[in-house]
Amino acid sequence: MATAELSLKVQAGSGSRIKDFLNANLINILAAVLFLLLAFFLLYPIIAVLIKSVRGPAGFTLEYYRAFFAKSYYYRSLVNTLLLGAINTAVCLVIGFCLAYMTTRGPWLLRKPLKIISLVPLIAPPYLFALSLIILFGRNGLVTRMLDLHWELYGFSGVVISQTLAFIPLAYMMLESTLMSLNPNLEESAYDMGASEATILRTITIPLMAPGLLKAGLLIFVMTIAEFGNAAILGGRTPFLAPDTYTMITGESDFNMGSVLSVVLIAPCIVIFFIHNYLLEGKKFTTIGGKPVAAEPRKITPLIKVPFVLITTLAAGAIFICFAVVLAASFYKILGVTDRFVLSNYLDFTSNQAIYNSIRVSLVAAVIGAVIGVLLAYVIVRGKFFGRSFIEMASLSGFALPGTVLGIGYLLAFSAPPLQLTGGIMILALNCVFRFLAVGVEAGISKLHQIHIEIEEASADLGASFLTTFFRIVLPIMFPAFIAGFIYTFMTAIVSLSAVVFLVSPGFQLAAVKIFDAAVYGEIGIASATTIKLVLIVMGCVAILNYITKKTRLGSAMGKPAA
Amino acid sequence: MKGKCVAVVVAAIFCVALAGSAAAQEINAYMGTSPDNNAKIAKFIKDKTGITVNQTFQSFGEIEARVKAEAPNFNADMIIGCGSSTGYLAKKNGWAVPYASPAWKGVADVFMDPQGNWYNIGNFSFLLVGNKDRLAKAGRTMPKSWKELLDPKWKGEIVMPSPLSSGTANMMRYSFLALYGDAEGWKFIEALDKNIHHYTRSGNAPTDLVGRGEFILGLTSDENVKKRLDDGYPLIWSVPAEGTGYDGTFALILKGTKKLDAAKKIVDLLGTPEFSALMAEIGYMTPRPAANALYGKTLPKYINLDLGKAADDKAKNNDIWKAKLRTDFK
Repeated sequence: MATAELSLKVQAGSGSRIKDFLNANLINILAAVLFLLLAFFLLYPIIAVLIKSVRGPAGFTLEYYRAFFAKSYYYRSLVNTLLLGAINTAVCLVIGFCLAYMTTRGPWLLRKPLKIISLVPLIAPPYLFALSLIILFGRNGLVTRMLDLHWELYGFSGVVISQTLAFIPLAYMMLESTLMSLNPNLEESAYDMGASEATILRTITIPLMAPGLLKAGLLIFVMTIAEFGNAAILGGRTPFLAPDTYTMITGESDFNMGSVLSVVLIAPCIVIFFIHNYLLEGKKFTTIGGKPVAAEPRKITPLIKVPFVLITTLAAGAIFICFAVVLAASFYKILGVTDRFVLSNYLDFTSNQAIYNSIRVSLVAAVIGAVIGVLLAYVIVRGKFFGRSFIEMASLSGFALPGTVLGIGYLLAFSAPPLQLTGGIMILALNCVFRFLAVGVEAGISKLHQIHIEIEEASADLGASFLTTFFRIVLPIMFPAFIAGFIYTFMTAIVSLSAVVFLVSPGFQLAAVKIFDAAVYGEIGIASATTIKLVLIVMGCVAILNYITKKTRLGSAMGKPAA
Repeated sequence: MKGKCVAVVVAAIFCVALAGSAAAQEINAYMGTSPDNNAKIAKFIKDKTGITVNQTFQSFGEIEARVKAEAPNFNADMIIGCGSSTGYLAKKNGWAVPYASPAWKGVADVFMDPQGNWYNIGNFSFLLVGNKDRLAKAGRTMPKSWKELLDPKWKGEIVMPSPLSSGTANMMRYSFLALYGDAEGWKFIEALDKNIHHYTRSGNAPTDLVGRGEFILGLTSDENVKKRLDDGYPLIWSVPAEGTGYDGTFALILKGTKKLDAAKKIVDLLGTPEFSALMAEIGYMTPRPAANALYGKTLPKYINLDLGKAADDKAKNNDIWKAKLRTDFK
């Protein structure tokens, strides 16, 4: 009570003492609340899966793991899955990089069309490509008959192709934003000094992109091995872990073995997650900082240009054709069998309801996810409390968690009282929030690293309370991160199948599940029409969001400190 | 200012998204017939009783798995359309609410439980389907008996559902086991496996795959064959000489429902001749006699079955199936 500052505040009454306490500790309270949320909705379900995998009717047992490693079937399943993930990640990164390079560095003429073609399928469920491939390249497919092919679509190669096509857009999106934020000046000065395009690529562009490439690779690998739609439709007799897990849970109701399968699925993801963190140590923020700038097209040597153009046109062409097939299928009774033009696929009422539900769930998830993401980022960067790095790890681990794990985890953790959440919108939304949290958190962290803490300190010194500082200084700066988290959660939540498929209940069907059901059931027209409707509606939503963001960029730019 | 506007917009979106749609009388049901037929049944119920049925499409196997996982706190009020094994299981474990519906008086034993734990809204069978065009092109004819499917010439050209996820496939399995006896039955299933290209998730999927001409022959549920023929698929169907098996499509009220009255009302409705007529039109053999869309007046030859035993053996047979067919792939 000796200092003048304190006595001043005592005079102001006890109300301000509470305020003081809050100012000093609010960040810790916030951290505690967030930690509880993470523990409850992210860690607890994972632990529930782990426990289920080692708890038999008579207590602890490793019997289920023994069964897994003793059966050649599961072994094959595991090998296939990892192989699929590896091939898929490599191919997606190469193609995604070529596409991103062409749309940010290539000739103006190509940029827009390539970008649109690469981004549109992002909103379509990944297994859509399986449908197109059956119509085109099935044993009785249009192309197969035309060219008299003898290629077996049902099997490993079919799954790899459809899964690769499905994840090119994601690779493209991530790599494009990395390339956009690379300052083109470096490359241009190298070019001006006479470096060849290949040298620039090898010594400047790719090394600078390394963190982005790694991150994209990790994300694609994890999503590939967990998303089971393509494998379930085209796998034939080739086993993969994700669809096996699905059948184990939904078909055989064997939660023990299902848990084992998903734990096995986690292991490689965690390993890659740690490798990725290790490699990025210290490099974490090199990709951010530069403002997105469109680079002027340069003359690209044929040595680079020819393969790049070839790869991009092939990939974009394949995506375009698959999408065109879906569009056509949505207007035909049965494309390829009875080619009669109908509109009935679009009038299917249940699919409208499912789309509406999906959008609701995704919006709720996106709002909650973006808010929690921004708050988590703030706590991680500015907080000084025990367990900070643990919170960081936990909130970023969403990158490395296969969807099936959190799906089963939520089913195990929240299907019985006292924590009964199943059977409604909230369990679906929360599931999406915590699975896709990482992107918002990461964006928030990098934004916060751009502003020095002095600005906040200055604000506090001038007498602003913690909350005022937070709302007037921190939030405006972090707004782009909020939007990034919002859009990513929204878009991924709307098409992702791997977790929500375990959690939907009667009366609350989601579009992704509905499309999958229609697809495996053979209602290709309805599956296609639902997809097209979904794509159009989501594009509308994203356009509105972009409009809002643009408006607010102007608003927040005024108060933006020169970092 | 603009930040605030955005906050308001976001908050508004959030509220709208969260606000559920409140409706009059609703009931949640797991429904295991095809999406089309689920919708038809739900519409019939809505028209006759005013009750809205919220339904998810799931296969019989998935419904059983879900009910087992959720017991005794079910997320649905009732099941309209599950396999007989689920019905017997629910009866055994006390998951069903017994209800002696007056509307079901006088139907045959196959169609209702004496205590009213379950009601069978329609029997269905499995068929052999073939693609006319592909058969003609290959210069082959439809096999006359199940045994003919073992001919190596069909290798890789037959699809059937997997008993791990499909109730229809479970029906095929217990029918073959009943037809040939356990030992010979398993030998038949193993020999057939050599010619099966792959096992599908849903019991109806082979109809579509064969209809598209992806495969020449399929063992499939008879549920959707009529509709696929009407849609214009070049399909041909037959019941091989040995006959076919059947399974019920059970309806039952789940314990713990807060909408017992509505559920009872629906069960009553399911026992009416009008509802039987609807089911027969779809292609089911119904509790109240009605002309069948697919078979007409002469029903196919049936293999002698004990559905209760089939339900008891299901888990054991799944294990055998996996042990026999999954050890060495390809």
